[in-house]
Amino acid sequence: MAEESVDVLIIGAGAAGAAFAWSLAETKMNILCLEQGDWMDPAKYPTAGLDWEMRGLGDFALSPNTRGRPEDYPVNDSESPIAASMFNAVGGSTILYAGHFPRFHPSDFRVRTLDGVADDWPVDYAQLAPYYAENDRMMGVAGFAGDPAYPPKTLPLPPVPLGKLGERIARGFNTLGWHWWPSDSAIATREYEGRAPCINLGPCITGCAQGAKGSTDVTYWPAAQRRGVRIATRCRVREITVSEDSMADGVIYYDADGIEHRQRAEIVVVACNGIGTPRLLLNSRSKHFPDGLANRSGLVGKNLMFHPYGMVIGGFPERVDGYKGPTGCGVMSQQFYETDRARGFVRGYSFEMMRGMGPVSTALWGMMAGRLPWGEGHHAAYADVWARTGGVLAICEDLPAPHNCVTLDTTLTDSNGIPAPKVQYRLSENSRQMLEHGVARGVEVLEAAGAEWTRVESPLRVAGWHLMGTARMGTDPQRSVVNEWGRSHDVRNLFVIDGSIFVTAGAVNPTCTIQALALYIADTMKKKLANLFD
Amino acid sequence: MSETNAATALSGDELRTLACVLDLLIPPSSDGRMPGAGEVGIGARIDQLAQRDPGLRAVVVAGVAALDALARASGASGFAALAGAARLAALHEIATGEPGFVPSLIFHTYAGYYQEGRVLEGLGLDPRPPFPIGHQLEPFDETLLDPVRRRAKLYREV
Repeated sequence: MAEESVDVLIIGAGAAGAAFAWSLAETKMNILCLEQGDWMDPAKYPTAGLDWEMRGLGDFALSPNTRGRPEDYPVNDSESPIAASMFNAVGGSTILYAGHFPRFHPSDFRVRTLDGVADDWPVDYAQLAPYYAENDRMMGVAGFAGDPAYPPKTLPLPPVPLGKLGERIARGFNTLGWHWWPSDSAIATREYEGRAPCINLGPCITGCAQGAKGSTDVTYWPAAQRRGVRIATRCRVREITVSEDSMADGVIYYDADGIEHRQRAEIVVVACNGIGTPRLLLNSRSKHFPDGLANRSGLVGKNLMFHPYGMVIGGFPERVDGYKGPTGCGVMSQQFYETDRARGFVRGYSFEMMRGMGPVSTALWGMMAGRLPWGEGHHAAYADVWARTGGVLAICEDLPAPHNCVTLDTTLTDSNGIPAPKVQYRLSENSRQMLEHGVARGVEVLEAAGAEWTRVESPLRVAGWHLMGTARMGTDPQRSVVNEWGRSHDVRNLFVIDGSIFVTAGAVNPTCTIQALALYIADTMKKKLANLFD
Repeated sequence: MSETNAATALSGDELRTLACVLDLLIPPSSDGRMPGAGEVGIGARIDQLAQRDPGLRAVVVAGVAALDALARASGASGFAALAGAARLAALHEIATGEPGFVPSLIFHTYAGYYQEGRVLEGLGLDPRPPFPIGHQLEPFDETLLDPVRRRAKLYREV
């Protein structure tokens, strides 16, 4: 990469970077995105081979520590009951996400006002609503209008099919008189904007070979490139540099061969996820920012939020064929979303239906759960579980706490020698109470759906999918890292646009809110171009 | 000591013993629908994995050696020469003395077995990966939502 200066340099080509790039490209500015991963080849996704399930535990594992791809960086999560997961590629973690696409509730932006905990956001649902809608159109979201858990909204595509399992679980919710609704899903349920329709392959979380899932390599990026945005892959940024006047002036990065480069920029935009972003800012130390870039508040890396997950799996008396259909998308319940202090905790959780397992996963899960002996009884025991399981996940709202944090590991580095992130996290008592409530209700609903047995795993260690809060937004520079439109309080041409800026976590998958925020920030920047750095 | 093939991690004797063990872990089903794990190439698969994973190779070699030693102590020429019940007893016995052996073999056996074509057919599946054919699912029955539609809104106004 030549050392030309670009107008806007985006670091990270995932959910936020893609949406932001597409929107800002309208300005015709010279926009470059540096991505440490590569373009993915859908023909090489696991579902194209018989070893698809084992590859989900190997080169397509959720944890970068397990995958160990050249483009991955390690995460020291040994001091956390929840392991961090992310993916590095054009598309970022949307390559491996389930495509679950629920919005935040209006109350999620006003938790201090309504419930007296954490902080209110400096933006609200009404401000983000048009960006949610635009994002739904760009990502191709399937769902069903009329959900009483949300203000009215329309979605461009019909919902994903529930299958036998989903209908059983839906009936279970109906039996208990609890809310449920077909999941909002970034899955093309019919041909959409050049994307082939979903054919119910099953494991969306190892990449969609069909191209039906809305990962940003097939949604925003082609559109952004047509608008002139450039992406440079296998470019791993080591640090953001600053000028004498404390403005960001570019980055230093390594290419795939480990060769160091310099890229200058007028505006730097960080979109590296809730762990990668604080890692980069903390690695960007200078005489002006000895504690890390944009960290005069001391809050970079603090207030890490996951969504603690409680999993309940049930076994049904007949085949429910849960291996067919989008892994994580089907039924969602928000019966316990809003605060009811009588439950013993504040805020709440959602339920997401979890479809069943493939043949190998059934065997390995059965082994670990003690339900599948080896020897003479093996086949009979396998027949009892094969295609008969399904479950629900309670996805709990985490509240911000400064001791839950991302710092730099003192010894662990990536392949370029850049210090790796270290995650220190513990569950709050509120989260424990919420998980306990969630799995108990999960057992009830599966039993109402006809499950003959249930098994609980909580908290679910592998479920560190949602990384939030480590560069929070706010109006007070002492209590936040970026302002209400993503601009660093300390560095006026530095923006953060990913899940790091979340003030609270809600109790739903964050991707559509991350993207709505990125679009909102891009739009705000467009409106303020004449005085962007004032 | 038997011959060692440079292209394998395990010797011929070790592979023969391993095949017997695999059929103990997953024996053929009595109705003939499901093959035994020793019949469908799981030994070769574990050998391939052991070529890349010295730790796995060490566990398998030690476990197989312990089984053969136990068999020889009872007067047989090796584990493969034992009768079925004696094989099972020996495997249970070394599960304690070689604690990593059986769990490791179970994991790799289950992982390999349930992606084999004959096994998938035995489960009633087409022996193919999910892509590109996928699966058919019926559109969902919207009447299921009727009781939910009748509810008041659940979200809080702010």
